[in-house]
Amino acid sequence: MKIAALQPNTALRGASVTLQGIGRSFGETSVLEGVDLEISPGEFIAIVGQSGSGKSTLLRIIAGLDQAYKGHLSIGASKGQKTAARIMYQEPRLLPWASVIENVAFGLGPQATRHQAFAQARTALEAVGLGDRGGEWPDVLSGGQKQRVALARALVSKPDLLVLDEPLGALDALTRIGMQSLLERVWLEQGFTAILVTHDVAEALTLADRVVLIENGRIALDLAIPFARPRRRGAVQFGELEEHLLTALLKSKSPSEEYVI
Amino acid sequence: MSELALLAGRHSNRKREAFASLLPISPNGFVPWLLPLTVLVLWQASASYGALPPSILPAPSDVAKAAWRLTLSGELLANAAISFKRAFSGLIIGGGLAFALGLSNGLSRLSERSTDTTIQMVRNIPNLALIPLVILWFGIGEEAKLFLVSFGVFFPIYINTFHGIRTVDPQLVEMARSYGFKGFELFRRVILPGALPSILVGLRYALGIMWLTLIVAETIAAQSGLGYMAMSAREFMQTDIVVLAIVIYALLGKAADGSVRVIERLSLSWHPAYRKGARL
Repeated sequence: MKIAALQPNTALRGASVTLQGIGRSFGETSVLEGVDLEISPGEFIAIVGQSGSGKSTLLRIIAGLDQAYKGHLSIGASKGQKTAARIMYQEPRLLPWASVIENVAFGLGPQATRHQAFAQARTALEAVGLGDRGGEWPDVLSGGQKQRVALARALVSKPDLLVLDEPLGALDALTRIGMQSLLERVWLEQGFTAILVTHDVAEALTLADRVVLIENGRIALDLAIPFARPRRRGAVQFGELEEHLLTALLKSKSPSEEYVI
Repeated sequence: MSELALLAGRHSNRKREAFASLLPISPNGFVPWLLPLTVLVLWQASASYGALPPSILPAPSDVAKAAWRLTLSGELLANAAISFKRAFSGLIIGGGLAFALGLSNGLSRLSERSTDTTIQMVRNIPNLALIPLVILWFGIGEEAKLFLVSFGVFFPIYINTFHGIRTVDPQLVEMARSYGFKGFELFRRVILPGALPSILVGLRYALGIMWLTLIVAETIAAQSGLGYMAMSAREFMQTDIVVLAIVIYALLGKAADGSVRVIERLSLSWHPAYRKGARL
């Protein structure tokens, strides 16, 4: 195995993300408070935390879906221009009335001309291993295949920043492992910045350069993952780090669970 | 067929298949017609053996003869053409208004707040109850029929268009917005296709109401059309023509319903419920 070939693409086009004092409250309830985070171009960050810890809210703020936050957020592309984040949701969110290839071409936005969009969409579909399924309706695909189409749609515009909101949470264990290596591969090839929200500590350790633990709306832990890629889940250090993270995660309580015996 | 395939556009292969499945070529296509055919045979037999007096119900062969006679004289075609014109003019006017208002109320809260309550109040008036008033307003001219049909088809199309737009998956809308879709492009690519199944259900209901309203209006107040033909035949005890008119209503209703089904198959071929093999 040539490890060198699996280092991140050096011709980086990832965006840097800077969060300063990000806060968000819904009515009286404060969900996020004073979150500072610096993400360098091309980095793969995993955000873990219990349900209700505010990790999804943080993700929606970075993705631009939630504008009502306090503090300062800046996303800078490598070439200096401002870029839109691409989002992968927990559900594939494919248009059922559009064929697979049309769904991927949808990711190029309303301005794209049909002919060129389809050519790019075909390349993106091939990258996720579904090059021959372009003409089908989304509902004949399996759950994992639908998420691969959603990934192709997110990547077809060659984004600088990809934001993933538990995209593998609804998949079965085997499909999830396949998707994780697919995600790692396209990230290494394309060099975008990736921010992944997940419940799954092993998934965070497999994919991320850095794991950030959110607890009660604050960053409780910011941990660099030193392992070389591709990562072996069986390795002893991997297991130790997984246990360390799990313990930290279990100690952190979301406010709603404090009174549960 | 070629025009339809042209309209079908990108997924023409699948759509052609969907279209072929509507033609009664396969042996299964014969099954739905078994019951009407049996009734027809029994009816003819009892009329031929004198069990049914012609003044009550004429034999199917007499009805067919009346159809032939009126076709030759041109009377049938002229009346049918007039009824057809009235029905579809009403559908276009009432349906068009309903579609426009359904869109604007589905898309804009302000528009909904200012008109929906009024529409819901007027909706509960049976449109045929307006016949006396309409005759006073318009006499028995074309406007009366046009008004009644437009009024009748308005509500099913309005309600289903409105409902269709309001039930478009908000997750899809959020996704499309994040890819930069807004305004007309968002409407064309996401909202309208999402609302289309519901809109077509409204159209199907509207077609039924369209014929019903028109026939009643023509029976009461008209000097031409199929309803008038039946009503004037009654005065001369021409039961064969009365029955002929009723048979034509049945066929027109079936044809209208069938045409919406073709539209559904062609435009909703992505939908599992409308795909080949799935019959509603």
